[in-house]
Amino acid sequence: MRKILLFCLSFFIINAFANDEKVVNVYNWSDYLPDEVLQQFEKETGIHVNYSTYDNNETMYAKLKANPDVGYDIVVPSTYFIDRMRREKMLQPIDKKRLVGLSNMNPALMNKSYDPGNNYSIPYLVGSTGILYNDLFYPIGSINAWKDLWQEKYHDRLLLLDDVREIFSMALLVLGYSPDTTNPEQIKAAYQKLQALLPNVKLFNDEAVKAIYIDEDATIGMVWSGDAFGAQQENPHLHFVFPKEGYVLSQDSMAIPANAPHLANAYRFINFILRPEIAAKIAAGTGYSTPNAAAMKYLPEAMRNSEIMYPNAKILARAHFQMDVGDAADDYEKYLEQLKLSA
Amino acid sequence: MVKKGHKFCFKNISVTLIWCWLGFFALIPTFLMLMTSLVQQGDTELIRLQLTFANYFTLFNSIYLKIFAHSLLVAFEVTIICLILGYPFAYILAKLPESLKNLALLFVIIPFWTSSLIRTYAIVVILKTKGLLNTFLLWLGLIHTPLQLLYTNTAATIGLVYSLLPFMILPLYANIEKLDSRFVDAARDLGANSWQVFWKILVPLTLPGIIAGSMLVLLPAMSLFYISNILGGAKTMLIGNLIENQFLAARNWPLGATVSVVLTLFMALMFLTYVKVRSKNTADMGDLL
Repeated sequence: MRKILLFCLSFFIINAFANDEKVVNVYNWSDYLPDEVLQQFEKETGIHVNYSTYDNNETMYAKLKANPDVGYDIVVPSTYFIDRMRREKMLQPIDKKRLVGLSNMNPALMNKSYDPGNNYSIPYLVGSTGILYNDLFYPIGSINAWKDLWQEKYHDRLLLLDDVREIFSMALLVLGYSPDTTNPEQIKAAYQKLQALLPNVKLFNDEAVKAIYIDEDATIGMVWSGDAFGAQQENPHLHFVFPKEGYVLSQDSMAIPANAPHLANAYRFINFILRPEIAAKIAAGTGYSTPNAAAMKYLPEAMRNSEIMYPNAKILARAHFQMDVGDAADDYEKYLEQLKLSA
Repeated sequence: MVKKGHKFCFKNISVTLIWCWLGFFALIPTFLMLMTSLVQQGDTELIRLQLTFANYFTLFNSIYLKIFAHSLLVAFEVTIICLILGYPFAYILAKLPESLKNLALLFVIIPFWTSSLIRTYAIVVILKTKGLLNTFLLWLGLIHTPLQLLYTNTAATIGLVYSLLPFMILPLYANIEKLDSRFVDAARDLGANSWQVFWKILVPLTLPGIIAGSMLVLLPAMSLFYISNILGGAKTMLIGNLIENQFLAARNWPLGATVSVVLTLFMALMFLTYVKVRSKNTADMGDLL
């Protein structure tokens, strides 16, 4: 019995000394950090990285909510989850005096309403949601707005991203409403608009989008810019469109959970990522755009000149940063369930 | 004496171990699920500890009933196809010579050695626009434009039937193999035609196998959501999707737990029916003998 007790106690003791460990626990999106970068960090600093991944914000949020002492030092939520988590005191303010290279960031992507002054979050990667189509099936230039997808000729053709906020943002933008609306009437109107789109939907997907467009299992639909750029490299018939009505710019940012056990190492990790050549390696490895302006010159030329990755200021003006919708999230979810039932 | 004591010790330890295992990994999680289904959803916390039955009433909302009915319908369809394909297969299997029989059984079981998720992705490779099936048919010249099979309800049904067919074949096989062939001979002697032999002799005698197989197919078919997601294009909502959505996307743990509890109760009810039917059936057999 005494042995068992000692064994159990040893766990607590290990936890108590955890602060002095040369370890940092990073919880990031899957396929979002090249191995090479991780190895370089470990080699330079001698700090071991415990790296684990998630596929959507909800999973990461649920894990931290269920157990705030779960032990992550760095998480990478999207804009609207930064907004929600900072208001629920799940994140700790970032001491900017301890950061090096913050001035390298693109000012157009800083100080947004989801986190004024970037007190809780440092942008990590950026992507846009737009339309992708294949010119073997549809003439070049025939599609330039979200509302075009509602045309009858696209019957059973569309790929929609399997993400409730992305789908509703598209319908809300077509109707001329804000993608962050909490007004039940507007959400309902978007749901009805989407019902009209259903006959055109071939599939909902969020994990194999790139391969589906490359192999022409879908020839038109929604896409994230990172997937669009990657797919275009393999299938030159694909074309990306920034829709006329506006589009959602998803920005994922590094943040430190309120109970992070290895605070000093978390700052070292953020500072490492802020270095321009490292930020460029991450952008090149993942196919998404870097918010680090100084990193541009280290990028491969095809990427640096890509309109998909780095749209001009005129297009960027149509971009929309997603905000938390609070309790209205339940309404969105219920309407999506209804939508899929009527499919 | 010493030996007996050892035996006693071994028995106690193994029984305790099994009970602890069941307690930790079956009983406690089920109990937690039940507790979660009886509390309220919190605003900033995951749950608020306040007793309520509201979650169970919410389930009578037409949308959830529709999801349940739809899942049941899909599951019935899959079960019937599995039965139609599996029954003759199991019959032939049971009548094979001994050496061939073991080999054939091995072939039925081999797919279980690979994860069902990987096998589902393998079906994607076969069915996709530039996949094996379309390439083959185009090469034969049977079609001129690729068939659009992937991301349809047909593809989802193919995937479910493929994954669940062994669960239908194995109980049927066990039942048919034990069947005394003299019943069939006797029926023929008494002038029954093939249809009568099948309907009046084989079906009643293999009913326990049919019911066991159907249950093993029906219940997973209601909740194997990833197959309809991967092959059907995620256009339909099954019970499995509903539970996943409530826990992760909607962050409504109490409602997700409630759906789980109701599904468990439904399964238990089906199982009890099965046990009842089986005991009645064995009683009939007893009368007969």
